Amino acid sequence: MGKYILKRVLMLLPILFGITFLSFAMMRLAGSDVVMQQMDTTGMAFSQEVLDARRAELGLDQPFLVQYISWLGDFLTGHLGVSYVSGEDVFASFISKLPATLLLTVVSIVLTVLISVPLGILAAVRKNRWSDRLIRVCSFAGNSLPNFFVALLFMYLFSIRFPIFPVIAGGTDLKSVALPALTLSVAMSSRYVRQVRAAVLDELNKEYVQAARARGIRFSVTLWKSVFRSCLMTILTLLALSIGSLLGGTAIVESVFMWDGVGKMAVDAINMRDYPVIQAYVVWMAIIYVLVNLLTDIIYRLLDPRIRLGGKEA
Amino acid sequence: MIKRWMILLMTAVLLTVSGCGSRSPETGTDAVSEHADGQKTFVFGDTTFNAENGEPDINPHNENGGWACIRYGVGETLFRFNDAMEIKPWLAESYENVDERTWVIRLRDGVTFTSGRKMDAAAVKECLDALVSTHVRAAGDLHIEEITAEGQTLTIRTEIPVPALLHYLADPYGCICDVQAGVSEEGIVQGTGPYRAVSLTTDTGMELEKNENYWNGKPKIDHITIRTISDGDTLTMALQSGEIDAAYGLPYVSYPLFETGDYTFTGCATSRVFFGAMNYESEITSDPAVRKAIAMGIDKEGFVETLLGGNGYPAVGVYPDTFSFGGDRVTAETYDPEGAAQVLEEAGWTDTDGDGVREKDGRPLVLRWLTYPSRQEQPLLAEFAQATLGAIGFQVEINNTADHNRIRADRSAWDIYVSAMVTAPTGDPEYFFTYHCLDDSPQNDGRYHNDHLEQLADEMSRTFDEGRREQLAVEMQQTILNDNAYVFCSHLQMNMVAKATVTGLTAHPCDYYEITVDLDINET
Repeated sequence: MGKYILKRVLMLLPILFGITFLSFAMMRLAGSDVVMQQMDTTGMAFSQEVLDARRAELGLDQPFLVQYISWLGDFLTGHLGVSYVSGEDVFASFISKLPATLLLTVVSIVLTVLISVPLGILAAVRKNRWSDRLIRVCSFAGNSLPNFFVALLFMYLFSIRFPIFPVIAGGTDLKSVALPALTLSVAMSSRYVRQVRAAVLDELNKEYVQAARARGIRFSVTLWKSVFRSCLMTILTLLALSIGSLLGGTAIVESVFMWDGVGKMAVDAINMRDYPVIQAYVVWMAIIYVLVNLLTDIIYRLLDPRIRLGGKEA
Repeated sequence: MIKRWMILLMTAVLLTVSGCGSRSPETGTDAVSEHADGQKTFVFGDTTFNAENGEPDINPHNENGGWACIRYGVGETLFRFNDAMEIKPWLAESYENVDERTWVIRLRDGVTFTSGRKMDAAAVKECLDALVSTHVRAAGDLHIEEITAEGQTLTIRTEIPVPALLHYLADPYGCICDVQAGVSEEGIVQGTGPYRAVSLTTDTGMELEKNENYWNGKPKIDHITIRTISDGDTLTMALQSGEIDAAYGLPYVSYPLFETGDYTFTGCATSRVFFGAMNYESEITSDPAVRKAIAMGIDKEGFVETLLGGNGYPAVGVYPDTFSFGGDRVTAETYDPEGAAQVLEEAGWTDTDGDGVREKDGRPLVLRWLTYPSRQEQPLLAEFAQATLGAIGFQVEINNTADHNRIRADRSAWDIYVSAMVTAPTGDPEYFFTYHCLDDSPQNDGRYHNDHLEQLADEMSRTFDEGRREQLAVEMQQTILNDNAYVFCSHLQMNMVAKATVTGLTAHPCDYYEITVDLDINET
């Protein structure tokens, strides 16, 4: 197990190198730079001297490879640089936004599990009955609605019509996280309900369920002790993917609710060509996905000892 | 059994969601403008107070931090603009232009910074010295050679004649702050305004308290919160829910929601103008007839009324009519599609093959329209012009891209470049021409040249008399309009929407003054 974990962590190095180089190159291909973006945003024209001085100050007057190597050198010595836009230390800014992102991730995942697992199982058990149809219709509707629309809908309902939650997040507290988390969990639950339903139905059709019923074992016991356990792998895979994307931030929901997380920071940085912040975000995402996948593999192994880490089955 | 279990789980979900709300009953509508402990509070939602706009903090020496400093009532400048955009003393009491390079400014007595220090000439000198040593644009504008301070008298000597010096001193970067008190880690400075900042978080907002020792009246609000809300819909709902008392930057489509007796609007035209610059190196727009037809083929009134819902002002020249040298002081081509078609016809642009697009010497009348999407009005203007110009025989090809700055440097890639720029940030007319229309202007991408304009610009750079500068501004505008080198389509309307209980919040054409000593909130 230890060797496997070490191997996966070492794999992170070439991934980081490749992905940071690619993102650095792609931002150059996108054109413009932070100096010109600020001119557009403010609508103020600057003299060429002012533009050149600003570029020189940020090192943007250097060739692409020199800029990348300079960034890489700083990164390897533990410095993520300073934001071109805010002038703040990138690492400190990033760390300050992580609690908000983590809280939103945890609450969204908990809500998603609480909504999608029971409803998915109910829909499977009640297959083709009115409750199943209702759940599927809701799931279809939830999948069709874009996040920003759900966010605005919830705001209108729960902040204006029935003023329970604030429109603007007042900090990283439960009251402020409720609407953004609910918005995210609606979209995720809508997807997962159908997948949980399919997984449970698949299990229910297996012979051991019929055999258990024939032997007079209560259905609820079979459902929770055998069927549900077998479906856990599917649920876990889905959750792992979701946790990865949630930890990367949810720019639209964060922007709408003024939730001060890393997703909004990343989108703002891309808009402004704030390369140090973009690079930090890319590094963060690479680490998240490698670690979340690693953790998922380890949990697979714990859930089902037949699975060998590294992809071989016993 | 399973049914019971399911019901329990679903109840848990609902309780988890709704339980969050029941824990803190104080948050809900109107939680913010109440008079807690008899104190008045005010919450202002703003889309622009962020690092993207160069406002990571309120330090006027840091990029555009001066805008936030002056807008939110923390800082004040030596001079300010009145409603007609004329320059008037503010922290200064009077001034004298001794010679072309020497200005003697008498400062107002009895003004203190929020740090408690008296504002005298020495303090102002320290602030201006720090400004020009750190702020590249300010240093380039002011050209300060030497400042001397004696009591309340400040003498500024410039390296070259700077006729617009007083205007530059009224720029937000000219906010006078106590340099000895320094800049906090958050970027807070100590100014002379009616409010002082007590905390600030970049891209999130700022807390202000009233300045009890303000020199020009008594601030009426005890505590002000500035909230950065970059999403227009969220800003709308925050105002609807009562979480904020006033908003700057609401999307136009939200305005009808507030056209009730519960809210008030304050707005005016700003000098930000949506305009097209012709490319004189293009085979299409180097033709005077084509430029004239474009100027006659864009329905500015229709654009403002139909696509902007009346939230803008059709432009004639460079400046809006709030400026003494703006509005209809100049004349431009008016919308006349038949006339435009006639102009093209007479210049040899005819539709020989009947496909709706005119040709001349085998070349179709294709107009490559370069613009960018970061301002919501620009793509709309492009599509609108595509339709109206299309009706007179143009084929308009729109390139709406964030990469416009690279493309416009390549003069073979576009015919007209449409942007939104502030034309008189300091109220002085020289700025626009210096940056956009002259041979050595950094933004003259279309390589426009007019000898007469160059002469007028040269004269303006040496003219101190305000009246003559205004005359020159009119003449220079008329010159570029006669050439149809630029088409000015509409001026941005700056609006603020507030609860009806809010008073003293008034839009100003320069967009600098928002929270002032007059701001008040009167709960009914």
